[in-house]
Amino acid sequence: MPHPPVRHATRTGAPTRTGTGLVIGAGLLLAILSIRLFAPAEFGAALDDRTRDFVTLSISVVIESLPFVFLGILLSILVQLWLPEGLLLRRLPKSAPLRRMVLSLLGVLLPVCECGNVPLARGLIMRGLSPAESMTFLLAAPILNPVTIITTYQAFGWDDGILVSRILGGFVIANLIGWLFSRHPAQSELLTPRFQAACERDHAHPSTASRFTQSVQMFARESGAMLPALFVGSAVAGLIQVAVSRDLLTTLGSDPIWSVLALMVLAFVIAICSNVDAFFVLAFGSTFLPGAIVAFLVFGPMIDVKMLALMRTTFTTRTLVIVTAVVGLSSAALGLAVNYAV
Amino acid sequence: MRFSRLLSRWQGVVLSLLGIVATLWLAASDQLGLYIHPRYYGFTVIMAVLAAVLCLAAFAFVPGSTDEDDEHEGHATPAPRGRRWAMLGGAAIIIGSAIALLALPPAALSSATVEQRELNSGSAAVDAPDLVGADTAAFTVRDWASLLAQNPSPDDVAGTPVDVVGFVTADPAGSADVFYIARFVVTCCAVDAQPVGVPVHFPGWQEQFQTDDWVEASGAFIRNPDATGATPLTLLPETIEPVEQPAEPYVY
Repeated sequence: MPHPPVRHATRTGAPTRTGTGLVIGAGLLLAILSIRLFAPAEFGAALDDRTRDFVTLSISVVIESLPFVFLGILLSILVQLWLPEGLLLRRLPKSAPLRRMVLSLLGVLLPVCECGNVPLARGLIMRGLSPAESMTFLLAAPILNPVTIITTYQAFGWDDGILVSRILGGFVIANLIGWLFSRHPAQSELLTPRFQAACERDHAHPSTASRFTQSVQMFARESGAMLPALFVGSAVAGLIQVAVSRDLLTTLGSDPIWSVLALMVLAFVIAICSNVDAFFVLAFGSTFLPGAIVAFLVFGPMIDVKMLALMRTTFTTRTLVIVTAVVGLSSAALGLAVNYAV
Repeated sequence: MRFSRLLSRWQGVVLSLLGIVATLWLAASDQLGLYIHPRYYGFTVIMAVLAAVLCLAAFAFVPGSTDEDDEHEGHATPAPRGRRWAMLGGAAIIIGSAIALLALPPAALSSATVEQRELNSGSAAVDAPDLVGADTAAFTVRDWASLLAQNPSPDDVAGTPVDVVGFVTADPAGSADVFYIARFVVTCCAVDAQPVGVPVHFPGWQEQFQTDDWVEASGAFIRNPDATGATPLTLLPETIEPVEQPAEPYVY
């Protein structure tokens, strides 16, 4: 959704204006709170069960993801404004493949869930990371981070090579995508015009406002980019949940090929957080072949409805179609390989 | 300042506030459990408070916040088509989110989702508790459902006393004499909820209970009187009492 770019204003508010701003903010907060407090309870009775469940499912995605998105925005602000220039990026190896490999392990230091990684990746691009490199980080970090690895181990142990396939698969696919896009001659064409404009403005007119004011401005800007995408993505995820029958997916479980595809579709629509998806899919362990579980655990953290909505704030549709296709095919190939090898 | 400008500058902060107020109100009224796993309560509340501080700071320090507000919606200057759509979309997201997050009363998932996601389909894989030497009084619907999913010998289980709380849902196999006392198992948030349930033998239950009523049933397992029924065991209730929906309606 193209919005006019937000102007990078440089004047800071005088004390009186700061006070007025606070009063307006507090007033809005009270207005929002009063909707909650005074909305009549009968308001919900008009909805049928299915619609109400759609709302409940969508809200649960929002309530679950929102803190991670806030954390991602805070980390992005930290990396862009508060860490010494180049602390992270200058120490990366010079060779491009090595750089991407190191970046794909960055999730070990920053164990944010996948939705928090999007604002962080945007911040890293602003700081000079190429789009291809940021993509490698974005795809690898949700899988190659300590929380995900521990929960996957708790759920599956070393059974059927699920843990090893997940870790190696995530690493290889993320680096494959990074390599693929690094060959694109004009890196900036991978980005949406709106985000490109934001990057250029940032370089052309460095803000003279205090670091604190800049942080607050950045919060307003990044939440403006992320939250509409998150809210729309959550609604779509909720809608698919009530529309797609789960029976159909589970009846496909014992076929080596269909089981892989069925769990990949499930991973795409359920949009569950990578830190705990292993526990979720454990319940399907008896009905589905191990390769299908691996495909779920590799594909889901990289691509799902909610992630595509969030990534669309930064990357063009064309880029995302290619990423989805390559990640999908690689995950399916990995799943099939596990199914036929185990 | 035009409304579209105002919207694009403040949309994120307003949506943040909607999410923050919804989250903190749910936490204060003990209803976060309708949406997310308890392990996230602390993190969710802390991030909401931090973001609330940043939102208020944005009102105080993002320049131009004050003089824009008075002119709000005043000038309906024709905008280019794309911008107008973006503006309408942005406003729709804000209104839709406010209705869903704040105006509608919070609700747990209902039997509509049980029908949509097969009852007891995934529970067999989850570790079933051991019946021998276990404190069966503490068993939840989930424990019993996973135990039954292991297809135990009916002789081992018949006669075991059972006391469970859950909501009423019809037998997916269509038997009129049986209903299920069901709960949702949640790993992360309500999106991944999987329904589990214990079959209850109770001819004529439709006259006493409605789907989605919360009940507490106690009794014992018996061999299913309907030999052709979908499950070899059912619960024969001694008492079934209506109860309030628990603050944490899901099991973990």
